[in-house]
Amino acid sequence: MLFNSLTFMVFFVVVLGLYRLIPGWGARKNLLLVASYVFYGSWNPPFALLLLLSTVVDWNVAERMDAQTDQAKRRWWLLLSLMMNLSLLGFFKYGDFLFANTNALLKACGIDYQAPHMGILLPVGISFYTFHTLSYTIDVYRRELKAVASLRDFALFVSFFPQLVAGPIVRARDFLPQLVQAPVPVAGRLGWGLFLMTLGLFQKMVIADTLLAPVADTVYGHAFPLHALDAWAGTVAFAMQILCDFGGYTLCAIGADLCFGFHILDNFRFPYAAIGFSDFWRRWHISLSSWLRDYLYIPLGGNRGGSLRTCANIMVVMLLGGLWHGAAWTFVVWGGLHGLFLLIERGVRALVGGSAWAATRWAAVLAWAATFTGVCITWVFFRAASFADAMKNLASMAGVFGAEGDQVLGTRELLQVGLVSAMIIGIHARLRNSSIETEVARWPSWLVTLTWAAMAAAILLARGDGNAFIYFQF
Amino acid sequence: MSTLAAFQRSIPALPWAPIAVMVTVLVVLAVAGWEVRCRAWGYAPGLDDTRDLWVEQRREVAPDDTVIIGTSRGLFGLDLDALEQGLGRRPKQLCLVGSCVYPILQNLADDQSFHGTVLCDVVPSLLMVPFMAPPYHNSEKALERLRTQSPSQHWSHLLSQPLERTFACLQQEDLTLAALLGGLPIPNREHAQMGPALPPHFAIIDRDRRARMRDRVLTDQTLRDRLKQGWIPLLTPPPQPHWIPDAAFGAFMHNMVEERFAAMSAAVEAIRKRGGRVVFLRMPSTAELRVVEDRFSPRAAVWDRLLRDAQAPGIYADDHFELSRFDLPEWSHLSAADSVTFTRALVPYLQAVLGSAPH
Repeated sequence: MLFNSLTFMVFFVVVLGLYRLIPGWGARKNLLLVASYVFYGSWNPPFALLLLLSTVVDWNVAERMDAQTDQAKRRWWLLLSLMMNLSLLGFFKYGDFLFANTNALLKACGIDYQAPHMGILLPVGISFYTFHTLSYTIDVYRRELKAVASLRDFALFVSFFPQLVAGPIVRARDFLPQLVQAPVPVAGRLGWGLFLMTLGLFQKMVIADTLLAPVADTVYGHAFPLHALDAWAGTVAFAMQILCDFGGYTLCAIGADLCFGFHILDNFRFPYAAIGFSDFWRRWHISLSSWLRDYLYIPLGGNRGGSLRTCANIMVVMLLGGLWHGAAWTFVVWGGLHGLFLLIERGVRALVGGSAWAATRWAAVLAWAATFTGVCITWVFFRAASFADAMKNLASMAGVFGAEGDQVLGTRELLQVGLVSAMIIGIHARLRNSSIETEVARWPSWLVTLTWAAMAAAILLARGDGNAFIYFQF
Repeated sequence: MSTLAAFQRSIPALPWAPIAVMVTVLVVLAVAGWEVRCRAWGYAPGLDDTRDLWVEQRREVAPDDTVIIGTSRGLFGLDLDALEQGLGRRPKQLCLVGSCVYPILQNLADDQSFHGTVLCDVVPSLLMVPFMAPPYHNSEKALERLRTQSPSQHWSHLLSQPLERTFACLQQEDLTLAALLGGLPIPNREHAQMGPALPPHFAIIDRDRRARMRDRVLTDQTLRDRLKQGWIPLLTPPPQPHWIPDAAFGAFMHNMVEERFAAMSAAVEAIRKRGGRVVFLRMPSTAELRVVEDRFSPRAAVWDRLLRDAQAPGIYADDHFELSRFDLPEWSHLSAADSVTFTRALVPYLQAVLGSAPH
């Protein structure tokens, strides 16, 4: 069930209405749990069983691990949780990728064997809920969290519908305490939640789907070399599209959570105002980058083992982060490039970080431009269907084909990308050290009213045909 | 590490309840105003011809049904009531606007339960398109929806129908933000390779996908002219990409055409083996549009060969006075009234070929 669908509108109104009518906290949690499974099952009902399996196993494992004092046995329980979750993720997400690469490798070795293409369907959101539940078992193993006694509460944490299929990746330690007692009523929480949901849908349906996606699709669907202007426009359009698509989903999730009285953390903090790649990753998909930091980078040794070890750890985390996004080598390269840029940034900071010039406004602008350009170059690998397409687009962006490159975008599309991108970058620059809440709190009521109404009207006008959010495939 | 203890989302201190009420009032007023404007432009409430509507019809196809597949010409030109009266059973309408018919025929051929009758509307220049061309994609996208439609997509389709029947402003072809932006008269760069503009909305469609040309086409000369000028670039093959050498492009197109003939014949044979039948239809088109079609897809090269290779019967409207005497308002489609007359006139020919069509 997509947030940008009529079915979700009806579903949300019914669930929210019942939630506010039902008096008991336990009954309200039961309602949210059932609603979350209906939400998930509306894609492909059998996959709800997979979610249930992951939930029941991890709840049991954590209970046993928590009660166990023998560290070796506790480690075995953790291993069981890791094996089960990563096996499911591996099979459903990477099964066909693995077989295809096995075939290629055997062929390269001169062995004529074809491992079967399984045609495995990817359960929507499996990467997200796997990370939800893994954060729980790892935290219980580390004794940073007590195992939760209620299976219902744990199941609701794993499956709560706003963040179930595309994040943010919510930590058990952040969410489970909110299930202990009913949320205390707070004035304006529902209204602010609905405002954020409208803003999220506006970003998705109007900006991402209507103004940007057709441009990126045209450029990345074109089989031949492109004019540099078109190639850049398509790539920048995708950079803005994925921000508004994923950021829009996140805002909808945060808003929906607030409507039910729950608080979840930000997932984006104006990333296109980032100055440097480390700054970018503090602002982009924060729940994933902080998850990888806490559960992968730090256990690998983080920056505690010298420069070489730190560099290796950064590369491992970014390569795996790339692979998390999709079962294709292009995603690995995307992650690898980000890792490489992070290392270059470390080197540059070591060289010029202490100089007076590095602290000037011009240095910041230069660093911003380099970061944004680098991020756009990495998006080429994220968006392209293959390496050949990615290389063709990079060559096009570099102007290799000159005036011979195909001009596939109309003037209106170029203007759309230019205006929308300038607007987004301007907003990010203005709010880079602030937040939406702080900004809106400064506005007069009439401006909030008009903005909200204009966004809602634009959503109705855009409608679209219910395009899925990009991150649903991950 | 993040901890909730350190985090509570702040709520901007504003009067949210009155704001929400005002927003609701403003949005209702905006929608009402837009609805009045759309109706003043001549739009009326009606269903959108979505992929979900197509999927609904495809799912209703019974093994021995009569099914119409093809393009907008079959969609607008074949009247389901007249066919029901003439053939004794209401056909299922599976034509897709601007589509290549082959993927849909293949889908029916692959459906092992299907052994009914297929009326296959052929527009030669849309049949002989490569797999990466938009007409082929249009059919593939419908089939993709058939394979992947989720319960929630089905429910959204059901929920949208009463709204579409109530509000004219929900008309999807012309009145979305994307369509309105696409209509802005902004000149393009000299060498921009822009695809042809899609024609404006000019038909209404029923729940069982019986489409009719709007009467406004008959009275509005400007709309008619826009439609006429829209069809010619749509049915003219795009120029050869300059990145591909002549010989390679020629070989690619030759192979594609040969493979398409072979695939169409194999699909017809698969249906016939199960006791089904396929009848090809060439619907009328007129004036300059027909000149363009005949130039790029001559009858002998496409239609005659298709029938010969597939060993299937066909009805070519131009061969029969009763089927070719119509004045097509925009050169490509029959008017609503003429579509009934045309279909009634077609029925005896269908009965004749179906009676003699090899099983």
